[in-house]
Amino acid sequence: MPAPFPKWADSLFRVLLAVGLITVAAVPLFLMAWVRTPQITGQFDPVRQPVEFDHRHHVDDDGIDCLYCHEQAERTPYAGIPPTERCLNCHSQIWRNSPLLEPVWQSYFSNAPIPWVRVHQLPDFVFFNHAIHVNKGVGCESCHGRVDQMARVYQQMPLTMGWCLECHRNPERFLRPREAMTVMGWQPPEPQEQLGRELMQQYGVQRLTNCTTCHR
Amino acid sequence: MSRNLPVLDTGAANEGLTAEEITRRQFLQLAATGLAVGALAGCVEPPRERILPYTVQPIGVHPGKPRYYATTMPLGGYGTGLLVESHEGRPTKVEGNPQHPASLGAAGVYEQASVLQLYDPFRAKSLRYRNAPSTWNAFVREFAPTPQRAGYRGAGLRFLLQPTASPLTSALLDRIRDRYPEARIHSYAPLGSTTGTSGLLRLFGTRVQPQYDLRNARVVVTLDADLFGAMPFAMRYARQFADGRRLANPQAPMNRLYAIESALSDTGSIADHRIAVRSADVAIIAATLLRFIAAESRTRGITAPDLSADQQAQHSADERWRMIARDLVANARQSVVIPGEQQPAAVHVFAHAINLLLGNIGRTVWYTEPVLYTTDAGGIDALTREMKAGEVDSLIILGGNPAYDTPAGLNFRAALRSVRLTAYTGLYENETASACHWFVPSLHYLESWGDARAYDGTASLTQPLISPLYDGRTADQILALFLGQTDYSAWDLLRESWRTRFTAADSDLIWADSLRRGVIVNTAAAPLPVTPDWSVVTQTLANMPQASDQIELVFRQDPKVYDGSFANSPWLQELPDPVTKLTWDNAALLSPRTAESLHIESGDLLQFRLQNRTITIPALISPLHADNSVALSFGYGRRGTEAIARDVGVDVYALWPGADQYVISGADVSRVESKNAHRLATTQDHWQISGRPVAVQQTLNGWRADPDFTREEREHAEALYELLPTAEEQWAMTIDLGICTGCSACVVACQAENNVPVVGKAEVLNSREMHWLRIDRYYNAEAGSGTITQPMLCQHCEKAPCEYVCPVNATVHSDDGLNEMVYNRCVGTRFCSNNCPYKVRRFNWYNYTMGWSETEQLQFNPDVTVRARGVMEKCTYCVQRIREAEIQARLENRRIRDGEVVTACQQACPTRAIVFGSITDPESQVSRTREQSRLYSVLNELGTRPRTRYLARISNPNPAFESS
Repeated sequence: MPAPFPKWADSLFRVLLAVGLITVAAVPLFLMAWVRTPQITGQFDPVRQPVEFDHRHHVDDDGIDCLYCHEQAERTPYAGIPPTERCLNCHSQIWRNSPLLEPVWQSYFSNAPIPWVRVHQLPDFVFFNHAIHVNKGVGCESCHGRVDQMARVYQQMPLTMGWCLECHRNPERFLRPREAMTVMGWQPPEPQEQLGRELMQQYGVQRLTNCTTCHR
Repeated sequence: MSRNLPVLDTGAANEGLTAEEITRRQFLQLAATGLAVGALAGCVEPPRERILPYTVQPIGVHPGKPRYYATTMPLGGYGTGLLVESHEGRPTKVEGNPQHPASLGAAGVYEQASVLQLYDPFRAKSLRYRNAPSTWNAFVREFAPTPQRAGYRGAGLRFLLQPTASPLTSALLDRIRDRYPEARIHSYAPLGSTTGTSGLLRLFGTRVQPQYDLRNARVVVTLDADLFGAMPFAMRYARQFADGRRLANPQAPMNRLYAIESALSDTGSIADHRIAVRSADVAIIAATLLRFIAAESRTRGITAPDLSADQQAQHSADERWRMIARDLVANARQSVVIPGEQQPAAVHVFAHAINLLLGNIGRTVWYTEPVLYTTDAGGIDALTREMKAGEVDSLIILGGNPAYDTPAGLNFRAALRSVRLTAYTGLYENETASACHWFVPSLHYLESWGDARAYDGTASLTQPLISPLYDGRTADQILALFLGQTDYSAWDLLRESWRTRFTAADSDLIWADSLRRGVIVNTAAAPLPVTPDWSVVTQTLANMPQASDQIELVFRQDPKVYDGSFANSPWLQELPDPVTKLTWDNAALLSPRTAESLHIESGDLLQFRLQNRTITIPALISPLHADNSVALSFGYGRRGTEAIARDVGVDVYALWPGADQYVISGADVSRVESKNAHRLATTQDHWQISGRPVAVQQTLNGWRADPDFTREEREHAEALYELLPTAEEQWAMTIDLGICTGCSACVVACQAENNVPVVGKAEVLNSREMHWLRIDRYYNAEAGSGTITQPMLCQHCEKAPCEYVCPVNATVHSDDGLNEMVYNRCVGTRFCSNNCPYKVRRFNWYNYTMGWSETEQLQFNPDVTVRARGVMEKCTYCVQRIREAEIQARLENRRIRDGEVVTACQQACPTRAIVFGSITDPESQVSRTREQSRLYSVLNELGTRPRTRYLARISNPNPAFESS
């Protein structure tokens, strides 16, 4: 009686089995890698805002400090999006007739907020507090990137949990003096790890890796 | 409501298929589609949120930082001062105001639940005339005075209000009486008993209101009075009573409480002696006590009238009354006898006569003018009589729900039809709204300006936390309309009223200070001197009815829905009754022996017939209930547009013969034969852990004999490896069972703080209620004592069994001693819950919060994750509050102060039975409680080393009772 399968069927079966097993392992791995890509994390995606606000111009050309508009960053969980009236502190004097400011005037006179689009969006089960980070030596740039070089602001960092933990586990690698908090493109004057350790001592920085530090 | 009856939420529901119609193939197709859609959804960027900043940011407002405002909640006519947490203009959580006499920092179940009522999607939203929508201007045209009506003196005009003590409302009512001398003002609330005032009027000849102070009372006797649950100043009394038994050591002095009552109450459950008697017999017992005390006083040379000549009641044979009387006399001047508000006038006469004899007046009892606004127009019965006689032309009903909550014997609803023009203002389009021509939505207290007085007369202001959600008006605005002030806002009225009251030059400052403080200082009513008329006492004694063994019906306040005004609160409907643990229902409570004589079991339907009215209601056997007494609680069986309350439970107003008649004899009771017994959703039998040293108690003498009686439940078993605390703070909680009354304020507070969902009756029957904190109630085996109530929440074990079994590390331990639950990691194996010996973990079987309306979502605490289906959850020790305090402390470069972190349950607790803090600080309050010799851990032998520990309950029974 002839063999029901040719000889090469054995090899085919082995290859298919291997491919099958690799696929089973690869699909979840692929998906896990996929959710960390910029496509999912929203990284590098310049967000169109209702007002064409250019951070390059305001930060670099005008030298306005981050805290002029995001003045809550040092004191409350949210850095704060400036109220419409803050724009008009300057723009009631300069560039009053610019068409770019039309939505700002409209908001001010109709008392309706400008619907800014959120750029740095954390999941609902993550609780981030600006005040404590800013006061313990985490610079704006560390999480938000070179906003001074962005025409439209985009998310420069992945904002994944692994990324958060890089600093939560080893803060000394990222800390900077409070005076340099809002400086863009800051370079440590001495080796970062050494400065970081000094700052940890000085500011009482802890390595916080408890789940409820962020998840409540 | 999906919340009421959760259904399996598959895509099938949307395609019009019912569960039976789906074949296996279709199900697989749907499941595969769902999976594919879910996978696709995970592969695209989530939609971006919008951020809406202020256009002009108000000074002092920082988005992300909650603010607290003082305000006052009126309930039953009296105000309770509160501090309300507001996140960017939306109130989310109610706390007590420590400066307010009725709160002292605590907030009870009604106060806690009131914030959800504000957001209730079933609240009335617009004005209505007959069946058509209308406007405020049309309402003004109908009722405001016009030149044509200049001579109108109010003939046929009637107002029906809820009892109120508001200075503003009172002033408006006085002006209305001046302007419309022929109009009449009636006030009514089903629980607003007038027997107390009429009893005292007879005794003293003047209208007075009793005030009690339990701080100096060594012996307290309640006569069918739920002192810590249902009385207007309950939270204050509970605190004062607890202060008398916060025992640091066995030698500390301790007060004693005798509770004489029919249905077991919060007061009875903490009493040292709880004596179950029919409510109808309380008068006879009070008389007996009075006779004994008079006789006892005279043997001790105290002048007291001779009352012994009267007939001896049957109960005088009982030695217990003599022993209570002796105890009272031995503690003369530092004792108090408190009659229940719903008891007849005679009981009030006797109780206060006893207080007079004991010399308690001026020490534990004094009298003030009645705080509530009173008129001599008569009550609801007088009004109904006039309505039926056609003497009422227009009736203005301000609040309440008289078409529902008036005694069926009056037939108020029918009487409404003989009135030409009726107007009603209330929160809901309820039974009364549908029977009236005009309907004006009223404003919730969290969105209105107003004022109120506490039971002791202290005035305070109500300020809004949010602008009105709907087109509503306050009752004051409607009253003002009759005075021609048609365009006055509630603020205008209030400010004007207090401008004249604050006569000082700095009146604006006093106003601002009163708003901030939540109390207007020095406004408590002054004590009044009283002279008793002893002939009234002897006369009342002579006219005592004979004791009988007939089955009585006791109509009473529901511990959850009050008189029905909170019936639409899902939190309160699902709150287990403090005693019976019943949810989503009311039942006829009766004792095991009475049930036996009627041949019924829990869940059987009983029919009560009184005159020509009947109700059918399920029975619920309640151990420790008085024999031959049936308790029926108000507030259920609603028929309005409030969808949650609708058809839950049975309306017992339909049987109620008349106002002020709370105890009725002579009803026919019969069992209704039915195939299926009614399913009562009690949480009582879930997680039964009795038979072990779980809720530990001891008598004071027993404790003195063996001060270290809990040692075996406290000492740790040997551990293979010791845990080294690594963080600066180590969080722990101690709960004093000696002063826990089981009132359940903590349960609702936890629910409000932690976004705990409501699951509905069907799910409660599946034991799937979600409360992170439950109150276990154990009946005492020994006769003479009530129950022991034990708040049970995550014990935050140092060696937590749940942590070992989680396959995905979703529950882990933090450095500062918390058992953490990480929702985003949880895959829902439920191993942790299986391995938890305390049964405090809760699983989201469905997306319970998905059915919340847009308004209800405004109540969510933004600092706590809203959990989704398939996730385990449990008490976190309010970790959001810990982290908040931690961040604040680190910003200021200091340690967290003791008392800086207050958990929601601790903050709400009227008796302060819950203490929370860090045990690394030996001076902290919680460290000191952990040094006490009555400290113990629940299920200590398991070696879980719980951080939540308990102080054993110490009771102080009268030694004379034991020897007899």
